[in-house]
Amino acid sequence: MIPSLKFDSDNNIIEFNGVLASFHCHHYNCGLLKAIEEIPSIDGQGVIIETAAEEFFQKFKQILAGESKEISPIKALEEAEELYRFMGFGRLDLSKLTESGGIAYADSSYFVVSWLAKYGRRETPVCSFTCGYIAGILGVIFDATPYTYEVKETQCMVLRYDRCEFTVSKKANDD
Amino acid sequence: MTIDSKKIIELGSSLPLASNEKGIMAAFGVYVAMNYNEFYFKLVSKIINMVGDKEAVSVEQKLYDAVLACGYHTFHGARTSMHWRDFILPMIKTPEDEVHALVAFTNVFGIGYIEVEELIPGKKLVTTVRNAYDPGRYLEEYGPQPRGRCYMFNACTASYMDLVYAPKYPDGMGTFVSKEVTCRSMGDSICKFVAELVHPR
Repeated sequence: MIPSLKFDSDNNIIEFNGVLASFHCHHYNCGLLKAIEEIPSIDGQGVIIETAAEEFFQKFKQILAGESKEISPIKALEEAEELYRFMGFGRLDLSKLTESGGIAYADSSYFVVSWLAKYGRRETPVCSFTCGYIAGILGVIFDATPYTYEVKETQCMVLRYDRCEFTVSKKANDD
Repeated sequence: MTIDSKKIIELGSSLPLASNEKGIMAAFGVYVAMNYNEFYFKLVSKIINMVGDKEAVSVEQKLYDAVLACGYHTFHGARTSMHWRDFILPMIKTPEDEVHALVAFTNVFGIGYIEVEELIPGKKLVTTVRNAYDPGRYLEEYGPQPRGRCYMFNACTASYMDLVYAPKYPDGMGTFVSKEVTCRSMGDSICKFVAELVHPR
């Protein structure tokens, strides 16, 4: 069950499951993504994926820990879909994923609609954050690490596909 | 000054900001998403520490520009919304009131509490933030910083002045430039931002 938000109006602080969170618009989120992708000396998308995986590994673990009883992987994947939707990142279908990987889909994507609104079409997939999100929550659900799963966006709606497709596999070595 | 900041925060925070069934949250003419403050801190601080100082300055400028666009467009969307017209506009008698109202409205997004310290109409705005998230985390993870780390509040401070005193929307963005003159990440007790005209008339 997705926790509710607590707003402290004297300090402009929002707590989500006891952790500080905030709202940001697409001008910022896309500007941040673009700034990072344009740095020539680093793998910007790789850093975004890694950071999202680490953060959502930790935070989703806390959310599941708040459940009154242990839940099945299927139920946990549904919770991850709902968390993603609740936070405004779009709509994911994680139902085809298993411990060994599989394919996930999104028929609605914050980063696609946002990028199109701000910059228009691009020639590469835009949902690097989502790759990290999926890697992070799978690490929790299957008792692994944020680095266990490799997630690649193999189709993206920003490239005119009907839906975004994420191919998930276990890395050979996640140390 | 007739602005009731508490009332604006109460009104702003009561707006139904929620994602639809497709997981998309739209408000004030922008797409909104919620994320953990720690995610942004980790992402940006990792990047800043991976690149050389010259490149870091360039990245910081791009982040400032991204937030400036965010503030400029989001706050304009807010001030042209029905809620603003019904509940906040009646409080606004002068351009200075509008600056105070926009600053107050910022205090509903969960990024820390920003306040006006000084406003010279059409020329200068000084704001302060005592509880920004990033400065404390920079100190914890990396120690004292060579430059301020609050690009979020820094650019927001310029955006208020751009909206109120610069050429009419959408032509005024970048008329004012803000600098973070003190930052808790540098060992100061408070973060302070000064927005001034780029080319005073």
